[in-house]
Amino acid sequence: MTPVDAQEEPKWDFNTSLLYYGEDENRVQDLSLKSIIRRLFADDRTLTFGLTVDSLTGATPSGAIRQDVPQSFTRPSGSGSYVVPAGDLPLDDTFKDTRLAITAGWQQPTGEKGLLSAGFSASKEYDYLHTGVNASYAHDFNNRNTTVSAGFAFAKDSIESVGGAPIPLTSMLDVGDISNREGDQDKDVLDVVFGVSQVISKNFLVQANYSFSQADGYLNNPYKVLSLVDGVTGDTLPRIPGNEGGPSGVFLFESRPDERTQHSLYTQAKYYMNGKVLDASYRYMTDDWEIDSHTLDVRYRWPIGGSSYIEPHVRYYTQTEAEFYRLSLDDSAPLPQFASSDYRLGNFDAITVGLKYGWKTRNENDMSIRVEWYTQSGTVPAGQLIGNQASRDNYPDLNALIVQFSYRFLR
Amino acid sequence: MGSPCEVLTDGGDKQLAGRVSLLVAEEAWRIEDKFSRYLDGNIIHRINTSQGDPVEVDAETGHLLDFAATLFDISAGGFDITSGVLRAAWVFDGTDNIPAQADIDNILGRVGWQHVTWADLRLTMQPGMEVDLGGIGKEYAVDRCIAMARSATNVPSMINFGGDLAVTGPPVTREAWKVGIEGPGVDAAGKRVDLRQGALATSGDARRFLLHDGVRYSHILDPRTGWSVPDAPASITVAADTCTQAGMMSTLAMLRGTEAEQFLAAQALLHWCRR
Repeated sequence: MTPVDAQEEPKWDFNTSLLYYGEDENRVQDLSLKSIIRRLFADDRTLTFGLTVDSLTGATPSGAIRQDVPQSFTRPSGSGSYVVPAGDLPLDDTFKDTRLAITAGWQQPTGEKGLLSAGFSASKEYDYLHTGVNASYAHDFNNRNTTVSAGFAFAKDSIESVGGAPIPLTSMLDVGDISNREGDQDKDVLDVVFGVSQVISKNFLVQANYSFSQADGYLNNPYKVLSLVDGVTGDTLPRIPGNEGGPSGVFLFESRPDERTQHSLYTQAKYYMNGKVLDASYRYMTDDWEIDSHTLDVRYRWPIGGSSYIEPHVRYYTQTEAEFYRLSLDDSAPLPQFASSDYRLGNFDAITVGLKYGWKTRNENDMSIRVEWYTQSGTVPAGQLIGNQASRDNYPDLNALIVQFSYRFLR
Repeated sequence: MGSPCEVLTDGGDKQLAGRVSLLVAEEAWRIEDKFSRYLDGNIIHRINTSQGDPVEVDAETGHLLDFAATLFDISAGGFDITSGVLRAAWVFDGTDNIPAQADIDNILGRVGWQHVTWADLRLTMQPGMEVDLGGIGKEYAVDRCIAMARSATNVPSMINFGGDLAVTGPPVTREAWKVGIEGPGVDAAGKRVDLRQGALATSGDARRFLLHDGVRYSHILDPRTGWSVPDAPASITVAADTCTQAGMMSTLAMLRGTEAEQFLAAQALLHWCRR
């Protein structure tokens, strides 16, 4: 006779992770602590709370181009300036923020085959406030082999820029001059997603999602500028800084459209073979800023013994530049209506390679450690290079290390 | 079995699931045919119509009667397979229709295992008395069917006869068998149990009671008084090595009424008691 082995299903699920993200050359460093607490109620109803605290430091490209001479800039706050050595990529090193984000979600079955979810999210940074609501419904068909879902999320964000949001395409001014600054800005984002997942066999699951996203409002990065350059040499037009300090060249604040519509198609397949799981996904995204992107993501989970596994991960990402992406602005041509030199709107490829190791502790809790390397390399369209710009590295590679430790326990 | 019965297999193919289900169904029908008090001609019918004559029984019936006698002893007469005749007085339909003491007294004369002579596979009962193995038969059937499923396949199976259930072992495709325990009332505050080995049995039925002068009369009757056990929990579920053991413990606890929880806590068994 084998003795009984039974226990009440755990009611609490605690999932905590500590993530380090660090870009090389002292660019952005993020230490992020995330906790997700799930309470399971009778009849598969669940309440989920999430809390994330990010601590961000480091330097981020200001958008200005390299010069053969030292360059000075006014800080985003308008109070103080900083100098970038000759030949260096201008980085704004005042980037320092703490972000606090909370989420709450309720999920419950409706009838035999439906699942209704609704949630709320909010986050606060020094210069940014996000609030959002979301809801979705999933319905099972075909003996639960097919699930069709629809959902939406609506976010209302407000941008409380340090020193006020600059008027687009106006110049960076001397220290203390805030005459081109405006008050708080806001934006609304609506996301709608439709999905279907299908069990093909007991080892094979596929899913596909279409999502639509519409953002309206202030979509600029208030801290990004473009260098206004000579149409022949490609060098930044010089400027005499004021007595209190200020920019040594003409730098214009970026200008993005106040509307962005994105469509994306996501497909995923999971294949189970003798304990191993292959998880591959592909996403195609296109938007009316003319950014097209492709993401290919493959993970392979490989069990080691009964209680641990390793999971190699490879991700490839590529995107085309936004139609208004400009390395710099040509002084000899009329100013475009929209322009940004933000490298994230440029033409680049990125590869992530990583390995995760997970194991069960003696008291049946899950632990894992993930280490990943991210490398990004971009190119400026050849037609945008003016004069001396052709001999400079205008789009330096970005490398980052990601280390994450996760711990999950049930009670 | 008077309730939905199911066999779940984890893995294997359709053919195997069909074969195990058929084996289990045949065994369940065999036990039902043999021990149901609603059928004419079976051993229970022969005992209940014996009119005071001795009845010879086979080994399997003897085993169940031995078990019933043991339960009678350890419950000091609280569990009694001759108490079924009290159902003539008690109809648990949710109304306030409680019986008169005279009616109960009238029936009590025909209740009591102590009045039965039981030895050497021979049972002699006074005329008018009846036995009913309903309180132990379903759990016995589950355990028998588990043995049959185990001998037929290594594929893990669960056998569930109307909430009294057992498994042949832990499932392979997930950590445990997930068993829901229905809560009292319509707004079922169900809990879920992870079962890897062993059995669960439930006594009580939250929907069967009488309500009179604000007092709730559960359908658990005490054969010593003929009255409903005062303050019996609405339902008790117990986990144990076998379904028979689980059923025995939940029944014994139920008879304790107010002290059901105390009794269960002393047994060191996983249990859920609902009031």
